Amino acid sequence: MTDKNKQDPRLPDETFEPYEEPRRIPMPVYWIAIALAIWGVVMLVQMSYSTKIGDKERASMSDQEVAATTPVKAEPKPDAGKALFADNCASCHGDAGEGVADAIPPLHASDVVKAGGASAITHIVMRGIGGPLIVDKANYDGEMPSFASVLDDKDIASIANFVASDLNGLKSTVTPAQVAEIRTASADLNPWDGGSGLAGLINGLPAQPASETAPAPSPDAAATAALAMHGTNEIWSCASCHGDKGEGTQTIPRLAGLAPAYLAKQLHDFKEGTRINDSMDYVVKSLSDKQIIELANYYGAMSSPSGARPSLEGDLARGEKIALEGDWTKNVPACFTCHGPSGIGVGDKFPGLAAQQPAYIAHQLAMWQGGSRHNSPLGLMAGIGKSLSDADRRAVADYLASLPPAAANAKLALAVSATTKETSNGQ
Amino acid sequence: MNRYLPLVIVSLAILSFATLLLVIIPGMQIAKSGASPGLKPYTVAEARGRAVYVSMGCLYCHSQQPRDEAQAPDGERGWGRASVSGDYAYDTPHQLGTMRTGPDLMNIGDRLPSQGWQLTHLYQPRAIASWSIMPAYPYLFAHKAKADPGDVVVKLPPAYAPKTGVIVAKQDALDLVSYLQGMKHDYAPPTDGLRDDGYELMAAQQHNNDAAKASK
Ligand code: HEC
Ligand code: HEC
Ligand code: HEC
Ligand code: HEC
Repeated sequence: MTDKNKQDPRLPDETFEPYEEPRRIPMPVYWIAIALAIWGVVMLVQMSYSTKIGDKERASMSDQEVAATTPVKAEPKPDAGKALFADNCASCHGDAGEGVADAIPPLHASDVVKAGGASAITHIVMRGIGGPLIVDKANYDGEMPSFASVLDDKDIASIANFVASDLNGLKSTVTPAQVAEIRTASADLNPWDGGSGLAGLINGLPAQPASETAPAPSPDAAATAALAMHGTNEIWSCASCHGDKGEGTQTIPRLAGLAPAYLAKQLHDFKEGTRINDSMDYVVKSLSDKQIIELANYYGAMSSPSGARPSLEGDLARGEKIALEGDWTKNVPACFTCHGPSGIGVGDKFPGLAAQQPAYIAHQLAMWQGGSRHNSPLGLMAGIGKSLSDADRRAVADYLASLPPAAANAKLALAVSATTKETSNGQ
Repeated sequence: MNRYLPLVIVSLAILSFATLLLVIIPGMQIAKSGASPGLKPYTVAEARGRAVYVSMGCLYCHSQQPRDEAQAPDGERGWGRASVSGDYAYDTPHQLGTMRTGPDLMNIGDRLPSQGWQLTHLYQPRAIASWSIMPAYPYLFAHKAKADPGDVVVKLPPAYAPKTGVIVAKQDALDLVSYLQGMKHDYAPPTDGLRDDGYELMAAQQHNNDAAKASK
């Protein structure tokens, strides 16, 4: 047996297994391993910072939601009114409530406020007011939006008390509980109808002009409402996208309270292809010119609470600065110079932006930047769109979403017989 | 190969370490965080519609995971806020998706709430967007001479409407649209919500740089 296994030394050894002496792992491999480990630790540390930032952002989102949904019971701080006045009222009524001659009545030493006190201020802030009004013997005929959907009871009480006591030297005050009562009773009502509307509210109100007679409802009003609420065999109802109250959602715009001429122009632009959107192109294809005017009047005359809230993580302070002052280092003019104080819109050409859906605003600005929306008169918006960065778009959109919606302005209604139609000048 | 035992042990150890870090620990974290507080469970119709969504393979073209502002302009597209794990608590199997041939659908109920639009679009996407490459789903609908009471008639432009009679939605189409209309994750995310926050640090630095430049 042993003989067979014995190798003939002249033959090659076939059972030989080659092997290597164990060698040291080369140094570079250690270096690479150590470098990878260090990199891993650095990444872990960075990641935990990133997660902290993410958590903070989420926390600020839920704070905003809590602030928006829970009624605040605590008594207001005494100096809160001044800051709230500066943020919400000063852009129209002036920093010291001095008003603007012929356009916006004063809140400082106003005879309307003096007669009505803090409770009348609350009523006006809650519903808004529009139409002929006389304050301190001067005539006004403007529109003030309702703040019901953007200020809570505590804020409105602070503002009303500040205006009553600091600007008019009155003793009368309201408590958040009283504001809550006024809210339940009246927040859904239409804005006060100018001075004549206030007559029932305020005893001893100085003489006021008669209200303008509202335009007679169009004979087709019922058909228009049916079109808006139910659509036709061919087109979906406007309300199914724009909301029952025309408040919009995400990239679908708020229509309520925009100037009818502006709305009609947009619908014509969709029809003629100067403004492009697949859903709206489909809708307008089967609308007649008359239906377009009726629908524009229908939404223009609609007053509804804000359906927007800041949701793009924009920097609200930066947004406010862009809206009020612009940013000349980037060639951005103040939005409100064209879109009106507080973004309530000006006349037929400059649409209201207050309470517009933030995703819609940011999306439109981005489309102007990219050139896919190009229907603003004289190309006014195209340059502005190009100058705004992504962060600025979100900042200004979120700020505008936090403002109270413009009240409907019946004076702007279009005549249905109008045959001349507004068309885009195609820039 | 005379030292296979240590080789097998080392490779199994590497695999189980990876499984621990990539599967088991995240799984435990997700299980611990539970459903987002604002999330509502599906209604019966929505749950049936979800089953249709899964069986039609909508996931192959549509994701359900909007990204953060730091990563992509999904918010400006109207696709909603960045999702966190708790938003998917009732989704088995989840429909996160990997491809965005079409838009993200996590918040489609918020962006296109119209039942009519959704039905027309499912019946024939080209009736709305001539460039769409989304398949039509005509078998979710029935052609009838006349609509019976309770039928939902699909609104169609003349080019796509049948010569006679009407197109009505079958139950599957109605359920699928209920599911789409219910896709609204518009509540604030839980503060400790889990997601990949990897881009936040970079975005914060960028933001600080911009602010520094602007104040100069
Ligand atoms: C968008 C501009 C705008 C903003 C913002 C605004 N107002 Fe007014 N306000 C008006 C206009 C315009 C009138 C006159 C309405 C009319 O002519 O019928 C008015 C009228 C009033 C009146 C009655 C007339 C008077 O001067 O006494 C009061 C009170 C008032 N506003 C309070 C406020 C308070 C408080 C705020 C802040 C919460 C506020 N307004 C914010 C535009 C504005
Ligand atoms: C399928 C959903 C849908 C339906 C239904 C719909 N819209 Fe729209 N609408 C949109 C979207 C989305 C936009 C924004 C388009 C864009 O991004 O340019 C829009 C924009 C508009 C605008 C432009 C507003 C602005 O601020 O510039 C008007 C006006 C309008 N719609 C009116 C209507 C009317 C009137 C109807 C009913 C006849 C209607 N829409 C039905 C989705 C819809
Ligand atoms: C020089 C005047 C001007 C300035 C300044 C201006 N806009 Fe405009 N903007 C317009 C006009 C005019 C339109 C209407 C375009 C049309 O008719 O289609 C418009 C329309 C818009 C719209 C579309 C509204 C809608 O309902 O579709 C948005 C959003 C907008 N502007 C945002 C802004 C922002 C944000 C700023 C400030 C950074 C700004 N604008 C500054 C003139 C201006
Ligand atoms: C082959 C890829 C593909 C498949 C599969 C597919 N889609 Fe789409 N989808 C698209 C594309 C591309 C669009 C964008 C064009 C359009 O609006 O039609 C789209 C758009 C949509 C939209 C509109 C989104 C928006 O924001 O405009 C909805 C809703 C939608 N799809 C639902 C579905 C559902 C439900 C299914 C399964 C039954 C499905 N899709 C299957 C490709 C697809």
